[in-house]
Amino acid sequence: MSRKIIEVEGPKWVEQGIITAEQEQRLLALYPVDDKAIGLLPLLGSLLVLLSALSLIAANWQDLPLLVRFGILLGSVAGSYAAGEYFRRRGNTQLGMGLVGLGLILFGTSIILTSQMFQLIGYDVTGLVAWGVAGVGLTYLYRSRLLFVMTVAIGGIVQGYNTEALGAFSYATAVFTALTLGYYWWRYPDALLGAVLATGLLWQAGLLIGVLHIKITWFFVAAMLIYAFGDWQADRPAGRALQGPPLVAAFLFMLGLAIFGEAGSYTDRLQPPLLAYLVALGAVLVLSLAGKKARGRLSSATDWLLLLPGFYLPAGLPLAVAALVVLYAYTGTLLWRAHQEQNPDRVTLGTVLFILTTAVAYFRLTWGFMNKSLFFLLGGILLLGLSWYLRRRAVQTAAPDASTPNP
Amino acid sequence: MAVLPTPANRRVWLVLLVGAQLLFIAAVAAAGYATTAYGRTVQLRTAPVNPRDLLERDHLRLTYGITYLPLSLWQEAKEPRRRQPVYVALRAQGNAYAAVRVYEQEPRALPSDQVILRGWVVGSSRRTLRLRYGLERYYAPESQVKALNKKGPHALLVHVSIAPWGQARITEAEVLP
Repeated sequence: MSRKIIEVEGPKWVEQGIITAEQEQRLLALYPVDDKAIGLLPLLGSLLVLLSALSLIAANWQDLPLLVRFGILLGSVAGSYAAGEYFRRRGNTQLGMGLVGLGLILFGTSIILTSQMFQLIGYDVTGLVAWGVAGVGLTYLYRSRLLFVMTVAIGGIVQGYNTEALGAFSYATAVFTALTLGYYWWRYPDALLGAVLATGLLWQAGLLIGVLHIKITWFFVAAMLIYAFGDWQADRPAGRALQGPPLVAAFLFMLGLAIFGEAGSYTDRLQPPLLAYLVALGAVLVLSLAGKKARGRLSSATDWLLLLPGFYLPAGLPLAVAALVVLYAYTGTLLWRAHQEQNPDRVTLGTVLFILTTAVAYFRLTWGFMNKSLFFLLGGILLLGLSWYLRRRAVQTAAPDASTPNP
Repeated sequence: MAVLPTPANRRVWLVLLVGAQLLFIAAVAAAGYATTAYGRTVQLRTAPVNPRDLLERDHLRLTYGITYLPLSLWQEAKEPRRRQPVYVALRAQGNAYAAVRVYEQEPRALPSDQVILRGWVVGSSRRTLRLRYGLERYYAPESQVKALNKKGPHALLVHVSIAPWGQARITEAEVLP
């Protein structure tokens, strides 16, 4: 409950005799006025001063003597960290962490600007890897979610630069971010961090596939390996959050196949050697299932239906139909599980995905051989009927909660 | 876990971590000096530099004579791929260096009059190979950039120092008459 609710609703409660005026005041006293807004003014003021200093330096950067430029870089890095630590100790945690984050950004900027000062070419990625190492160190030191998210982003930037500009994948960066940040998430489970970490690692896996010029479906072996770690995580919400991005990627991929599967122009990039692919994916599946079993969540094994390799079918209608079958198998079981678990959120998600799949299926399978107005009419009726049915099921699912007796 | 900092030794860790970052920035600067000190200097001729718009006032964009190379210098089994790192052997020809051959892997032994500069494939056509060396931007004080731009189209002779470990940097750019 927040102060605002009491301020707005309090007078009505007093009027209706639920609480007395004195009780209202006591309740209000429990939620003191947030004085964060007041602290904002000096912060904005110093931000302006900082920006003015920054633009002055930036305008004259190349004309400043080398040593002065170097001193400014070192000073600003050290200064941000010192100021961050100072404010943190004084109890102003958010400002303190913000300044430490600024220090981390300035460290990366300093590496780049120093290379520029000496006209050093982007020769290898060592400088930027050091940036990631610093981010990990600070994340562990401060146990800060902000720094964790920043470090995931830095890892993605470093890997992106490395593949784009230097034409090589830095395995060191990938393994280092996966191990250090993965271990941090394992020790301090957190839903947001799980989703961010999985997204960052998927990005790196995607870049690796691009650099190696291998079939894009190998991506899902890496994605499901990330997913499998979510199965072993004891903290359920954190584990589910880590599994979100891989599932979203697999779902979107299948949806794309269902929509564009007939084009066939890229289907030659989908089929890795069957045996090797199935063995690799199977090994990950075993790891995942063992985790599910150990944590007593075997019912979520239906997620793996999304990974049925329908893309081995020839391009054209068979491929589109196979993709749709995979999508229906997944969304169908998702809905079924949601109803069994009586989980309203998941019923909504399953409903949306189910309707999306149906829309795609309808579009794919009927567009070619049906009069267009009839197409829209039938499509509309089909979707309306589906949503009506699914909503009825959803209401029935939610009903036991809603029917608790009123006081 | 012993790995994770405890409140007691947090301060030590912080000092170590920040100190290491400052040292690293210093090491980048040291790498700059070391490249000049231990490197071998080659001169590269640029294509005429055109006056650029005012936005790019802190650097010049350079195209070198070795930016476009005949595909005949590529004698590897595989076709060159976009973004692939390559090793260009250079040899002195007059007052500047010219490319002799483009390798996929760094060659182990070279004639003593040749030197290797690393580059990256930008693209290739039937006859030419376009490369990038990371030396395409020359950062200079605004006054110098302005003066160079005022001269109108002109070529530069760029002095590049290549360290034995492959790192390279521009040390000087002189205006050719």
